[in-house]
Amino acid sequence: MILIHCPYCDETLPELEFAYAGEAHIARPLDPSGLSDEDWERYLFIRANPRGRHNERWRHVHGCGRFFNAVRDTVTDKFELTYKAGEPRK
Amino acid sequence: MVDAALRTAPVPADPAVYDGVTITLGTPLERRSLRARDAKALGKLLGRKLPEQIGRSSEDVLCLGPDEWLLRAPAGTAVPDGAGLPLALVDISERALTLVLEGPRAIDVLQAGCPRDLRKLTVGEGRRTVFEGVEIVLLRTGEDRFEVDVWRSFASWLHLALTTAASHLR
Amino acid sequence: MSAYRLDGMGRVNRGAPVNFTFDGKSYQGFAGDSLASALLANGVSLFGRSFKYHRPRGLLGAGAEEPNALVSVDRGGGRYTPNLRAPAVELYEGLNARSQNRWPSLQTDFGSINDRLGRFFPAGFYNKTFMWPRSFWEKLYEPSIRRMAGLGDAPTEADPDTYSACYAYCDVLIVGAGPAGIDAALEACAARKHVILIDENDELGGGALADPALAAWLETSLRDLANAPNVTLLRRTTALGYYHDNFIGAVERLTDHLAQPGHGAREQLWRIRAGEVVLAQGAIERPLVFEGNDVPGVMLASAARTYLFRFGVAVGRNVAVMAVHDSGWKDALAMAKAGVRIAAIIDLRETVAAALVDEAKALGIRTELGSAVIGVAGRQAVKGIEVSRADGSMRQKLACDAVLMAGGWTPSVHLWSHSLGKLAWSDDWGAYLPDVPNENCRCVGACGGKWSFGSGLNIGALPSPRDPATFKAFVDFQNDVTAKDIALAVREGMKSVEHIKRYTTNGMATDQGKTSNLNALQLASSALDRPVQAIGLTTFRPPYTPQTFGALAGHAKDALFQPVRKTGIDPWAEEHGAVFELVAQWRRARYFPKAGEDMHAAVNRECLAVREGVGIFDASTLGKIEVVGPDAAEFLNRMYTNPWKQLEPGRCRYGLLLREDGFITDDGVSARMAPDRFHLTTTTGGAARVLNMMEDYLQTEWPDLNVWLTSTTEQYAVIALQGPKARDVIAPLVAGIDLSPEAFPHMAVREGTICGVPTRLFRVSFTGELGFEINVPAAYGRHVWEAVWAAGQAHGITPYGTETMHVLRAEKGFIIVGQDTDGTVTPFDAGLDWAVGKKKPDFVGKRSMARPDIVASGRKQLVGLLTDDPSVVLEEGAQIVLDPNQPVPMKMVGHVTSSYWSATLGRSIAMALVAGGFDRMGETIYVPMPGKTLTAKVVKPMFYDAEGSRLNG
Repeated sequence: MILIHCPYCDETLPELEFAYAGEAHIARPLDPSGLSDEDWERYLFIRANPRGRHNERWRHVHGCGRFFNAVRDTVTDKFELTYKAGEPRK
Repeated sequence: MVDAALRTAPVPADPAVYDGVTITLGTPLERRSLRARDAKALGKLLGRKLPEQIGRSSEDVLCLGPDEWLLRAPAGTAVPDGAGLPLALVDISERALTLVLEGPRAIDVLQAGCPRDLRKLTVGEGRRTVFEGVEIVLLRTGEDRFEVDVWRSFASWLHLALTTAASHLR
Repeated sequence: MSAYRLDGMGRVNRGAPVNFTFDGKSYQGFAGDSLASALLANGVSLFGRSFKYHRPRGLLGAGAEEPNALVSVDRGGGRYTPNLRAPAVELYEGLNARSQNRWPSLQTDFGSINDRLGRFFPAGFYNKTFMWPRSFWEKLYEPSIRRMAGLGDAPTEADPDTYSACYAYCDVLIVGAGPAGIDAALEACAARKHVILIDENDELGGGALADPALAAWLETSLRDLANAPNVTLLRRTTALGYYHDNFIGAVERLTDHLAQPGHGAREQLWRIRAGEVVLAQGAIERPLVFEGNDVPGVMLASAARTYLFRFGVAVGRNVAVMAVHDSGWKDALAMAKAGVRIAAIIDLRETVAAALVDEAKALGIRTELGSAVIGVAGRQAVKGIEVSRADGSMRQKLACDAVLMAGGWTPSVHLWSHSLGKLAWSDDWGAYLPDVPNENCRCVGACGGKWSFGSGLNIGALPSPRDPATFKAFVDFQNDVTAKDIALAVREGMKSVEHIKRYTTNGMATDQGKTSNLNALQLASSALDRPVQAIGLTTFRPPYTPQTFGALAGHAKDALFQPVRKTGIDPWAEEHGAVFELVAQWRRARYFPKAGEDMHAAVNRECLAVREGVGIFDASTLGKIEVVGPDAAEFLNRMYTNPWKQLEPGRCRYGLLLREDGFITDDGVSARMAPDRFHLTTTTGGAARVLNMMEDYLQTEWPDLNVWLTSTTEQYAVIALQGPKARDVIAPLVAGIDLSPEAFPHMAVREGTICGVPTRLFRVSFTGELGFEINVPAAYGRHVWEAVWAAGQAHGITPYGTETMHVLRAEKGFIIVGQDTDGTVTPFDAGLDWAVGKKKPDFVGKRSMARPDIVASGRKQLVGLLTDDPSVVLEEGAQIVLDPNQPVPMKMVGHVTSSYWSATLGRSIAMALVAGGFDRMGETIYVPMPGKTLTAKVVKPMFYDAEGSRLNG
């Protein structure tokens, strides 16, 4: 059971309070109907799925309730850092 | 106010007494979910100063998130509804009920299923967390006294889990 | 082997005799004995039969590494545990232990015929031989092999014990309370750190328990630690696994050692998070590989030392020692000085430290350097050995009743490996040592390679003048793997240890190769003529030793197995005989049978009661979300398919929620309570998912919106009152609301009181009848339910459950998300395009409704089915075909999603997803079932009151 640092609570807490929420920094297009099928497909389905450093989202669902971003190494399962939603990619 | 005699609760009214801890159903409370970007505006509406750090409480209000507070006041306390304002007040008085754990082993009973380090929860603080997968709001109201707000449907299960843990104390 | 108890030796309590039985025979030991030491003291050398060859086996070790002496302990009343290691079973009054894997008895085991047929059972034998014919495997081969091979019998009764669990935090966790672990604990304690020190034995001390010279130090140290407020000592506790971020799972055994287990938990699962982990797990001595090394009485030298100094038991009256390592000499000398006769010390090395040899000579012990044991006389007990020079010359026989093996030491790096710490090969140890940590962890003492046992040789097998293909020299005792099996694996092309392991099963037994892995590696290394490091090392995985399922489950057993959610009305349903079902985590009343009714009869009656009179239903589990703020309507407009901005306060709307991929994920009726306040409902199972999804959009896509979401599922009890008499029932109870159809139309919400309790009263219907859903604060739900129940008596009010609810809604063609949809159904597929706001520029899922595969023809669409035989109720999930005469496998065009007997219509009804279904109205489809093919007509999914006239009562 890993420990995760919540950037809103500023506490490092057991994974059990958190939920994974997919890859980070995939913003919903402002005008989806203006997108080609290919662009919409890219937004909807295409993910980086890297071996190694991954920008991803977590939610402190059983805590402050906030979605936030994290950089986790998918090989070692170690978190490099976490940061608030809306902050630029790190 | 509605006649309190008409209330029912899913856990026994009698305290469960163990060596080192007593588990009791708390009295009904006026509970509100308080949401706003601007803590000061919300505090002004309520006539209370809201704590701004997650986990801290003051004047019956616990800060649960960056824009979220929980009011736990004596039943019957009048609370405005904030209509038309850029904030949200929602009556959740009956969403949860309170289990009170009191005694020197209360912390051990809670630590049986709560993965947080409860030694770090100081008196006057509270957090939303889990007990074996069941979400709770846990408040430390004394060195040896904790209050657990749990959603009503989970309460009978949680009461059994806590009393079982208490019965296993050594 | 003729072991015996020595006077004045060991730590057992001679004043406290303990009676126990083994295989039905009574024995006596002392408090402080293990089952192994007590049986040894009674002269027992035969403990079990081996896994594959059913060879007689005795004790190899004195601790967790024991591969041979597995026993079953039966405490009666379902308290039965197989496969316990005899050295780890504490003696208590009345202990009843049995040997395993033998028939009819341990002494006479018919299965031992396998041993003589051994040359027909090489490694890989099962895989090679029992492949054909294939059908024989399941019916003949596997059952027979299972009978012959294997460990203890599985329990047949439910486990009556309870188990507990806890989380714990500490600054320093120390695993292993031997001298190194205790030193680490004293140091951390002095630094005022919060320390947890755990050890798997009943007594703390580890190796110090078998070293009288350390007795005084041990006593003082343990007293200091016990008195320190910042130290927690856990005995009988096994650290079973080491997980991410210094999270250690450990199991504390609480009652297995007690004569009366009492009422407390049997074991406690400790989930420990440590700032620093100190591993002090020690090292395990390696056996030596030679012919006869598994005869009862051949054991590890360190084990014999433990039996002598900890338990006061000499393992024999005339003990031979076969060493390739100095530690064997030290053990032999210590035992000799304590009064045990040492027949000889044989060492493969030509030269051994002069001090050891001189001391042996001074004690009158015969020494044979440059020599090896090449055979053992005796089958159920050692009678003697044959020794030769390393080159096979000078063969001689030697009488003895026990043989001690000293093959060097393997540091216990199991937990280190769980933590993904790196290992490095050490030629000095002939083993892997901890190298680079992956966590805040360090190893101390022998498990870190920081303990001096002396020096020795690293070898695979002892030399023998005989052809190695002609005899069994065991490497893995528990899985009966021999040196020639390893050689065979290499001959057949296995080069990596992973392949050799799987081919031979070496290291795959319950002991995970604690005594065999390194010997197997050395043998493979010799056979492949490659260095050990080039062959690899298999990965240790939790648990360190076998654990009970109960311990791993902790308190999650029986009523605490998983959280069960109950409504406030649940006790009423229970009192009124409801049959329940689980829906997500909720326990819901499924139907209310009267005496003599089965589900079918009860549901028919409940359905008719709603259609003809009035029914009452507990809908409290419906998910509810309060959406509040100036932008509430804007937010819902973006989330749901339909428009929300024009909805007037006091009115309700059916909302359809899609995922961004265009598929239906939830639905529900929601109400506008005020311009800036909505009361949403979701499906019972979807409540948490929907709230999470909405929070996600709100927090991360539209953080500028001034709107907030609060789950109110549990704030309200919801009582659905459905049927033409619904209004008549509640009319006398409601105050402050005009219930007339004109003032309170279908799909409206009003606030007032019912029986004096504030209510949000919805006029909605999931049955097609006149209906109300009474929302009241949850604490008053039972009271209001009972009041409505009482008021309804004059109207024949009938409680109904989820099954009836399903039938009634299916008669109206209302979908259940997750039953009639499966995550690949669009609003159009479900016939719900009327609920999609065509003029809205955007909402979640809108763009996807124009995806090429979603606008393509031939999609599965939701239709009704009426069977040609009205008495036939189709099975939900049954597959649908268009041509029943086509060859198998048939082309399946869809499946039945909902199917019921409709008492109202006097026939069966069904809903189905069928490819191109909307264009198949009136067509016949086929449902192949075992032994018959059913036929049905495709119809619109609306079976009752299509014009909706009944909504007005």
